[in-house]
Amino acid sequence: MTIAELQTQAPAVTASDLYDALLRNTAPFILDVRNPDDFARWRIEGRAGLMVQNIPYYDFIEDEEGATARVPADREVLVVCAKEGSSQYVAELLRARGIDARYLEGGILSWGHFYDTRDIVSASWGRIVQVARPARGDVSFIVISDGAAAVIDPLRHLAPYLEAIAARGARLTHIFDTHVHADHISGGPELNRETGAPYYVHPYDAIHPIDMLPATIAYTPLNDGQTYRVGQVDLRMIWYPGHTLGQVNILAIAPDGSRYLFTGDGIFLRSFGRPDLGGRGEEWTPLLYESMTRRLPPHLNDATLILPSHFSTLDEADKAGRVAAPWGVVRQTNTSLSHLKSAEAFRSFVLGNLPEFPPQYVEIKRVNIGLRTPSEAEAEELELGKNVCALAQ
Amino acid sequence: MELTYHQTLDVKGAKCPMPLVKSRKAITELPVGQVLRVIATDRGSVADFQGWVKAAKNVELVAQEVVQEGGQELYIHYLRRTA
Repeated sequence: MTIAELQTQAPAVTASDLYDALLRNTAPFILDVRNPDDFARWRIEGRAGLMVQNIPYYDFIEDEEGATARVPADREVLVVCAKEGSSQYVAELLRARGIDARYLEGGILSWGHFYDTRDIVSASWGRIVQVARPARGDVSFIVISDGAAAVIDPLRHLAPYLEAIAARGARLTHIFDTHVHADHISGGPELNRETGAPYYVHPYDAIHPIDMLPATIAYTPLNDGQTYRVGQVDLRMIWYPGHTLGQVNILAIAPDGSRYLFTGDGIFLRSFGRPDLGGRGEEWTPLLYESMTRRLPPHLNDATLILPSHFSTLDEADKAGRVAAPWGVVRQTNTSLSHLKSAEAFRSFVLGNLPEFPPQYVEIKRVNIGLRTPSEAEAEELELGKNVCALAQ
Repeated sequence: MELTYHQTLDVKGAKCPMPLVKSRKAITELPVGQVLRVIATDRGSVADFQGWVKAAKNVELVAQEVVQEGGQELYIHYLRRTA
């Protein structure tokens, strides 16, 4: 074998290319060559109908012909491994046998770290930028108006926010978490340390709900009904207890009268946030019912754009990658909202549809209020896979 | 535990899939019944070797251990050729 033959001939596909294809529903067949345990823990997910198969790379080493026979030969195949090496190796084997195989650059690690940034509202008063981490189903936002920028529910890696704000010629003035998150490590406290912009969170969430210990991070308490001005936009805090005791929905009101509701883990496009991640599902379910039926509705009209902080499936994103829909659509298409007719019906629906409680969520809440500082490797491990913040659909 | 082995394969610094590719080759060249000791620095090799021996017809994973050496972790696998 010459040196030239050792080099990879298979084309690389970047995480960004993959995301575009997933959104357009044109993604190739995905061949994940990690070991079955890693595959079971998390994998690439897309719209319904995405084909994903797990054949460990060592199956190709043991029995190249047998393993190759399990791969479809009539279409493009994207080979994925942990970091990259094994997917290149398998893609080369497949190409030698006539299969149009490519590999995911940087492996599934790069997919897990991929952030998608796009303007989803552009108007004369400013814009709303959506920053998503698709592998986790996490979504966050930047409201920009007259050179001021407010970040809502920032995720752990700060660069996407700092770059997006700088590229749009703005300055970070406010950092909000709609609540203290359980599924991911917030970028809020570190953005506050890096930029000096105040980090706002409701004081009820600054106590760990299971440890009952107070936050050690620097934060500025926000209250129900309070309004913050960002350029020409008003951001109104609507207390919405249930998913956490201190969750708020943030209503943005633009000078043209348009309204945008950042629901955090309140109402999602196809479900709503579960009330048990604080360890008190039975007690918090009635609070959630009150929030959904009494606290929030006065602030909504059918044109209010609902912008949640999670999706459970990529089918919640439209072709342009927006995870957003007007309330008039959400109230009709989100079938989980049909259980709000009575407190009792709601209670039995909620308590009967709680997904598993990921044990690391207790620890992530500790990290988010400063009770623990994980290493980078521990943070990676805590955030592995997709969020489980919604009720089962 | 004192582990017996007949040959050593040093794949320190090699990244996935090379530790396993080279181990496969070395095992094939080993007489049946003998044990190969593989020294790797790739952490992923621990789970991957466990999965591999389930798929492989003539390889048994006798033991795995992690040892510290010069500030880095070494992942050591003991593999027996069974047929």
